[in-house]
Amino acid sequence: MEQARLSFYDEIRKNKIYSVLLMFVVFIILIAIGYAISYAFDPSYLFFILVISIIISILYVWIGYYNSASISLSSVNAKPANPRENRMFYDLVEGLTLASGLPMPKLYIMNNPQINAFASGRDPKNAVVCLTTGALEKLNKQELEGVLSHELSHIANYDIRFMTLAAVLVGMIAIISEMFLRSLWMQSNNSDDNKNGGIFLIIGIVLAILAPILVQLVQLAISRKREFAADASGVRFTRTPTGLINALTKIKSNSEMKVSGAVSPLFLAKPNRAMNLFETHPPIEVRIERLRKM
Amino acid sequence: MIYIIMTVFLWVLGGVVVIIALAFFSYYNRFVSLTNQIENSLSQIDVQLKKRADLVPNLVSSVKGYMKHEKSIIDSVTDARKALVGAKDISGKVRAGDKLQDAIGRLFAIAENYPNLKANENFLQLQQELSAIEDKIAYSRQYYNDGIMSYNNSTTTVPGMWFASLYGFQKKDYLHIPDKQREPVKVEF
Repeated sequence: MEQARLSFYDEIRKNKIYSVLLMFVVFIILIAIGYAISYAFDPSYLFFILVISIIISILYVWIGYYNSASISLSSVNAKPANPRENRMFYDLVEGLTLASGLPMPKLYIMNNPQINAFASGRDPKNAVVCLTTGALEKLNKQELEGVLSHELSHIANYDIRFMTLAAVLVGMIAIISEMFLRSLWMQSNNSDDNKNGGIFLIIGIVLAILAPILVQLVQLAISRKREFAADASGVRFTRTPTGLINALTKIKSNSEMKVSGAVSPLFLAKPNRAMNLFETHPPIEVRIERLRKM
Repeated sequence: MIYIIMTVFLWVLGGVVVIIALAFFSYYNRFVSLTNQIENSLSQIDVQLKKRADLVPNLVSSVKGYMKHEKSIIDSVTDARKALVGAKDISGKVRAGDKLQDAIGRLFAIAENYPNLKANENFLQLQQELSAIEDKIAYSRQYYNDGIMSYNNSTTTVPGMWFASLYGFQKKDYLHIPDKQREPVKVEF
């Protein structure tokens, strides 16, 4: 039992460190673009771009972040769960909040025959957990508990806040790159500055084209790491991985759910099909394997 | 030249002093917040135990009609509840709670022999609620013991142990979680 304990604490720590490292990579890319631009052009130009992009991306994401719970709930038409009718749902979450020290989140149900769940909310005090009707029907008590424990872990690990931060940075880099490329297009008639920044100009262009794609790949890698971390943290609360393993095994036979791209990263298992590198979730087989080792 | 060395030395010394002062503050705060967390989780256990005790009168009245001749088990449940309500400190409460859980478990085992009782809506609901409370008590104890582990870790590892003895924080004990007893139930008719 001692060995099992160490494993999932390690897993959690490993994933959190990787997430931070990946964010660091994003920062470096941001700075690299900044430098390239400032060598190619006037440094004050860089300042201007940075300010605009920061304002735009922060505004855009802040509104989404503040209302993340209500936005995601309404996009899937979720209804509040009933404490009397959904007694088991409430009891299970209450038990897990006692095990984790988290405050009780608001509970919702969405109408969909596939087994799935998501959690949202900027911090534990403003959190929501949503289950599909499929999950309530097809999973037994222990499996439901495993799923709910995974969702509460997302809340406990402040994953939503972290992923939003990542989205801000990704957005900023995309905007900077966009503005840089556009300004080049417009400045191509002016031959004054070309002599100074020759090589940096080329680097800047390459970065500006590649950067948005690169950072999005990084963001998706972070998302996958956090899913693994949530699996491991969930085990910390339930003390056994069995429930979640069985639930994920049942989920393997899920078919596609029709949800918008914005909400899909929040789900327990990926609702839509996607290519491997662009996956928000790690493959289910790998998740089950890692859980078995705990 | 000496001036430069002196300045660097003084800066480094200043930095070290600041770090040590911070350590004094942060360890004390850590011990206090862990202690508070432990106390809070103790009161959570208390809340669940109280909920269980509150359900017992309802349970007893709903089985009395059906299990007319099972006086001894009904009495043990009522007595265990009295003991729990009257318990003073937390270890007394936890022990009394365990005894009550045990008695209720035996009551449910005996109830298996009364199909009319098993069909009773009220009884089934009580059974479900008491089962849910059992799970919650288990989770509360788990959280309490987790808090104890963190606290013990910080007060017994280096350098926390030095600050702990300085401030007078001592190691705490874990709550003993009873194994589910699987002894054969004696049914008296």
